Amino acid sequence: MCKRHPLLVLLAVTLLITQSGCWSSKEIEDLSLYTGVALDTGELSSTEQTLVDEGGDYFKNNKLTATLQIVPKKSAGGASKSSNSVNKPQYINVSETGDSVLEIFRQFSVRLDRPIIGHHLKVIVISTKLVEQQKIEQLMDFMLRDNDIRPSCVVFLSTGRASDTFTLKDKDDIPSFHLREMVRNRFRSSKVMKPVNLSTLDARMHSKQSFVLQNIIEAKGDIELSGAGIIKGETGKWIGSLDQDDMRSMNWIKGDVNGGTIKTYNNKHETITYEIKSAKSKITSKITEDNKVSFHVNIESDGRLIENWDPEQRSTKIGSLKEREKIFEERLSIMLNHLMQQMQSTYKVEVAGFGERLSIEHPKVWKKLKDHWDDTFSKVPVTFSIKFTITDYGSFNE
Amino acid sequence: MFVRSDDKITSGQASLFLTNTVLGAGILTLPRSVTESAKTPDSWMSVLLGGLIVMLVIFVMVKLSQQFPGKTVYQYSKGIIGKFPGGFLSSLLIIYFIIIAGFEIRVLAEITMFFLLEGTPVWAIVIPFIWVGAYLVFGGINSIARVYQIIFPISLFILILCYILSIRVFDINHLRPVLSEGLMPVIKGLKSTVLVYTGCEVVMTITAFMQHPQHAVKSMLAGIGIPMVLYLLTVIVVVGGLSIDSVTTSTWPTIDLVRSFEISGFFFERFEFPLLVIWMMQMFCNFCSFFFNASLGISQVFKLKIVPVIFGLMPLIFISTMVPKRMNDVFAVGDAIGRMGIILFILLPVLLSVVLIIRKKGLKQNV
Repeated sequence: MCKRHPLLVLLAVTLLITQSGCWSSKEIEDLSLYTGVALDTGELSSTEQTLVDEGGDYFKNNKLTATLQIVPKKSAGGASKSSNSVNKPQYINVSETGDSVLEIFRQFSVRLDRPIIGHHLKVIVISTKLVEQQKIEQLMDFMLRDNDIRPSCVVFLSTGRASDTFTLKDKDDIPSFHLREMVRNRFRSSKVMKPVNLSTLDARMHSKQSFVLQNIIEAKGDIELSGAGIIKGETGKWIGSLDQDDMRSMNWIKGDVNGGTIKTYNNKHETITYEIKSAKSKITSKITEDNKVSFHVNIESDGRLIENWDPEQRSTKIGSLKEREKIFEERLSIMLNHLMQQMQSTYKVEVAGFGERLSIEHPKVWKKLKDHWDDTFSKVPVTFSIKFTITDYGSFNE
Repeated sequence: MFVRSDDKITSGQASLFLTNTVLGAGILTLPRSVTESAKTPDSWMSVLLGGLIVMLVIFVMVKLSQQFPGKTVYQYSKGIIGKFPGGFLSSLLIIYFIIIAGFEIRVLAEITMFFLLEGTPVWAIVIPFIWVGAYLVFGGINSIARVYQIIFPISLFILILCYILSIRVFDINHLRPVLSEGLMPVIKGLKSTVLVYTGCEVVMTITAFMQHPQHAVKSMLAGIGIPMVLYLLTVIVVVGGLSIDSVTTSTWPTIDLVRSFEISGFFFERFEFPLLVIWMMQMFCNFCSFFFNASLGISQVFKLKIVPVIFGLMPLIFISTMVPKRMNDVFAVGDAIGRMGIILFILLPVLLSVVLIIRKKGLKQNV
């Protein structure tokens, strides 16, 4: 073989040299993995201010501040896990201000020893103040283009300062992972929105229709998922927030309810609570002859009577269960009406999936209406029919 | 070693040869290109319709080739329309194959540089590929077919696995409404589906290598059927997972689909890397097919020995890989290939068949 094909042997040897090893490999210990990015309005942190005073400035406008959460703080090599690590956070947050996301990211190279890399970015939190000033498309442009950042990372809004959500009271907890895991609680609460990742966000932004993103609030080192921020489709800017009950109503309309409760008071003002076992919803659109659109939402749910504070009304007979079903249905209907009020009068937007439904059922009508859908929707009549069934009452049969 | 001297392939191998020639880089950009031109979620129908048209094309090609058992298009075209016109048409086909070979490698290099090996120079990716490809092509059609038999099940498995896992982001509403604007968008989408089926011209050479050329129609239709089903699946899964708004803004939508979910607690958390690495092998198959067909063509048209031809083609393919400078140029080459494919179809199988029918039936000549 060797004698017959010296050329092939030469080829094989050359290949061996070029193929073994990786040309552009970088050791993971030498990289700073960031797991969260918080975008805020441009305000210099005290560190940055001092750096600027010392002469650390360059050609830029201070339009936004990006805070990166870098994990782990020190690579595993050498550093022993001693007891003093308990009180120290496992991450560091670094902020930098500027007017280009990538330029800011590259600016970290003159501040940190290890270059940052975005392969493990899990969450992006944007402050609503910033989205009031800049279009969300502008802020997300780099994230969508970059090759390291995966479209699977989840996007949140924060009515407070976004970087505050990256500091938790519990130092062992990594805030960006904490946020990421919180959206899995959808089976326990209907206040949690279906997570919006970068590729979904991309689709929403491109469609030019208004949409919502889950809102986070922070207080004293604790964070809470609270309602949703509305982004207006035409402008790409934040216009207001829906509260937690509106968030629930929206999930009910979209049929995104996986679990949670409905609590209300019976005729004696005592608490009764319904635990949702299953929920279904269907939006149907109707076009009248003079081209007027109307919607009907049909909501059905099975659940359990899980809490009852009224010692006098403990009957589990069908009749009294049906009475309670009525009370719960009324409660939901009040919630839904509040959301409709918010969408149709307060903000004049449509974010609960009616437009999508219309585009499926009446694509021709949708094509005519989609450019000014938010305005059209504020005058569209929407009716609801709600059917709750209390299938059981737990293990306390009285 | 198991060297077969007769250089024949079985019907199954021939099917796979066609499958692996057609199924390549197109799968990574197809959902975007077809959705861009169709502009409705009905783009999957364009893929289906395009596939049926290509099946018809392949039928014509096979029927023509079956008239000349054991002869490739490079040989029988001379017989039908004369030495020089035949040689000219064959040369066009050869140039076409060289351009596609370069294009495939370029796309592969672009993806590798962007997602996998950031910082590796382009030649360091391209040159080893051409070398390894040349080594395989030296082995002749039998070795190529056997490599395909090994690679195809692996790449199919990974691809299908990725699609199954992507069900978690799939939403049927992204594919609705169906036919909201009638059939026009579907027909508009056809022009971008043509590109993904390019390369089916190799039918006119591989039929000559088949052990049982009488089964050629069946095995070639099966060979194009596999990519057709996979393309259909790709468009449905990608558009259903990302929605047409996101697909049109994504440079590599199929990769973005796989990048848009994470599977925690599994052996792999992210699947774009297995998919890219495995799909690289598929693109290698693609490249080898075109390389082989180009070198075979040159050696048969100009009556040269195949070994020096293969060596001579290596720099030529390298040049054709490196000519496009920007990403736009790369995609423009892709579109140009699609158009060339249509022109070549009219020039080669159609023209040759017509001339053949006139000479045989009309002039009663013995070709």
